[in-house]
Amino acid sequence: MITTFFGQDGLGSSAAFVLSLLLGFGFGFALEQAGFGSSRRLAGIFYFRDMTVLRVMFTAMVTAMLGLQLALALGVVSPEQIYFLPTIYGAQIVGGLLFGVGFVLSSWCPGTAAVGLASGRLDALIFLGGAALGSILFNEFYGIVGPLATWGDSGVKFMWAAIGVSGPVFALLFSAVAVAAFWGSEWIEKKVAGAGPYLGSPFLKAFSVTILVGALAVALLPPATSSTTVTAPAAVSETGMLQAMEAGEDHIDPDELADRLMAGDSSLLLVDIRTPAEFAAFHIRGAVNVAAADLPEVLGPHKNKGTVVLYSNGMTHPAQARDSLARMGFANAYLLTDGLQGFMQQVLKPVSLRSTPLSEAQAGKVNAWRAFFLSGPQSHAAKTVDTASDTPRLVETSWLQENLGRVDLRIIDLRPQPAYNVGHIPGSVRMDVEHFRGAVGGVSSMLLPADLIARHLGLLGINLETTVVLVPTDKLQDATLVGMALERIGHMRYAILNGGWEQWVAEKRPTDTLLPTITATEYPVPTGADTFTVDYQQVLALSQNRGAVLLDVRPGDFFAGKKSDEARAGRIPGAVNRPFTLDVSTNNAVIRFKPSSELAEAYAKLIPSKDSPVVVSCRTGHQASQTYFVLRHLLGYRRVSWYDGGWAEWASRPELPIETGGG
Amino acid sequence: MNPDSNIPSTGPKPHMNPYLAGVLLGLVLLASFLTLGVGLGASAGIARAGAFAQSCIMPQHVADSAYFGTWGKDPLRYYLVFMFVGTLLGGLVSAIMGRRVRPQLERGPTASRSRRIVMALAGGILAGFASRVASGCTSGQALTGGAMLATGSLLFLGAMFASGYAMAWFVRRQWQ
Repeated sequence: MITTFFGQDGLGSSAAFVLSLLLGFGFGFALEQAGFGSSRRLAGIFYFRDMTVLRVMFTAMVTAMLGLQLALALGVVSPEQIYFLPTIYGAQIVGGLLFGVGFVLSSWCPGTAAVGLASGRLDALIFLGGAALGSILFNEFYGIVGPLATWGDSGVKFMWAAIGVSGPVFALLFSAVAVAAFWGSEWIEKKVAGAGPYLGSPFLKAFSVTILVGALAVALLPPATSSTTVTAPAAVSETGMLQAMEAGEDHIDPDELADRLMAGDSSLLLVDIRTPAEFAAFHIRGAVNVAAADLPEVLGPHKNKGTVVLYSNGMTHPAQARDSLARMGFANAYLLTDGLQGFMQQVLKPVSLRSTPLSEAQAGKVNAWRAFFLSGPQSHAAKTVDTASDTPRLVETSWLQENLGRVDLRIIDLRPQPAYNVGHIPGSVRMDVEHFRGAVGGVSSMLLPADLIARHLGLLGINLETTVVLVPTDKLQDATLVGMALERIGHMRYAILNGGWEQWVAEKRPTDTLLPTITATEYPVPTGADTFTVDYQQVLALSQNRGAVLLDVRPGDFFAGKKSDEARAGRIPGAVNRPFTLDVSTNNAVIRFKPSSELAEAYAKLIPSKDSPVVVSCRTGHQASQTYFVLRHLLGYRRVSWYDGGWAEWASRPELPIETGGG
Repeated sequence: MNPDSNIPSTGPKPHMNPYLAGVLLGLVLLASFLTLGVGLGASAGIARAGAFAQSCIMPQHVADSAYFGTWGKDPLRYYLVFMFVGTLLGGLVSAIMGRRVRPQLERGPTASRSRRIVMALAGGILAGFASRVASGCTSGQALTGGAMLATGSLLFLGAMFASGYAMAWFVRRQWQ
């Protein structure tokens, strides 16, 4: 039994590359030997004066076809070891029609042009340049033509199965047609061009007999490894799944659902049984929203007609609903495997974020799905926010709206409770920044220890996989301080909604007043995630280090010591001032961070390099969290520390030195 | 057999018997099925070379694009790119052995140079585009999929010759 590179997922290995080079060598050698290094000769087939292309191509197909059928019948290789090309009706017919025109215009095709170039043909080089350009055009217009490449995708389909015979029998029929075509091509070539060199020759007679006898032998050979060799190729994927489903399985897989929706399957009724608010926030394109209690009535006309697919976020509710419908006599109700969450993962997850590499065809399919089910401009943001390790710290309102309803997304609204209760982003929960700080070790307004933060997040139903989006108040530092809390427990999947609630409302995006349903989780308490918080002793040591930058982000008057709410007025010796208010801009009550380019320029004047040690501080650590966010996450400074105790603590310790004046 | 003694040493040697060349090609394809587990292909190598060339000029644009972007940072690290290089080498060796390396713009007796260049370029663009739509060309779809008896690949083969013959009449003067 042969194990192929495809079978062991090794087509990307160096050994496969070397083997490909060798096989390519044989390919090029055979093509050139056949005379395909000449465009004039290739063009001959279209004018019946030189039918070499037909002879070579059909002989090669018959040879490989019989060899493959023989290998499968003898069990030398199993079907799983071979990548069978999928049938994509629209793509292959339209692509074939276009390709034929290109072929006849240029008298080249990609493989023959390679040997044409090797034979010194300038027109082959021009063709190859054109073909590369044509590929680039396909990529550039992928948004428009991409769906064509998956149009009519029907999985692996064999011609022999379509006409109801076995592979070897079809190969015999094909061989007979090929032999007839050989004789016909010799005859027509003689008529048109006075050629037809092998017509009636002993060689062609012997060759024809050899092919037919060989094909007959393959067809008569009993399948050695029972029936699997004949039926297995078709059963590998789609067919098997469909049969399993028809056999009584009660679910439909997300990719199948996606394909049928995209194909405009009118026999399919997709029903979203979540709340209207969740439905309004996000639903699968083409779904209708029906409350579970209304299902029997609404679905009545669809009883045992077509396919009804139910979904919710998970699988429990749809499964119960489906069972209930089944008891009422609905034999055509299915539930979506893994619910909306599964659909997100299997259909809508960007190719770049998938853990297993996809083939070109699969990737094209995913892109087509995404283009169909997610309209337009959000794909970029979605691509980035999903990454656990490198979540962008700012997301835009458009992205959030398109990701509403995602079960692995938790929106935390930090605005005051009355404001939240009057209206909020659907599915969001309210939390106050004050829930994350308190008196620790005698110092007030300190960020709480990791275990308490973890407990809070668990109560909000957040787990390690949750992406947290923070909706800031009119103070961005509230959101950045909650960000510090998340970072303290190592939860880096978080982002701040740029522009916040004000922008959301100004853009007339959906809101509601409902409380989300949340199941509390146990968030594991990490250790050692917080490497950025420093205490007064570390700050004192750093203040004596000439390379370190102490950034005091309080307003100028406090920095200069002219104003004070604390035991002493002034600043940590050596500190420089950069008020946190300079990093944000307000426009019609919408508060946003200033553009990164502007921020980068300002901080480049204060901090020598991205690797310089920087300590940010203010009065209580609150405002400094915003500067920390800017430096660390928006500008990429690598060694930023945060003095949580701030001036409130520093001023209360009389042994610590201070500085006043300037500012 | 010593064909060299019968043929002038400067002229090209005759091509191989097309049926035997076909058998040779079929055996290469079969070897590919049984070792790589996939068939032969040519257009993917060209497309990846195109993606590579474009990414030299506009790397970010290519990395962000919906189709080329999925090929990763290094589109040339792909088995079909190596196969394409092999095809060039195999063709070169065979052409040298057969004394058929002839630097020229091959064209019909009445076709002008510029006409031939335009036809080769236009045909190339169409063929390159079409082979991305269909995920393959004469090699990767028609030959490979045809030998597998895949329904869609046989339809590609049929469609290709149907439109080829339909179009041939309009451009017949190219080779007359």
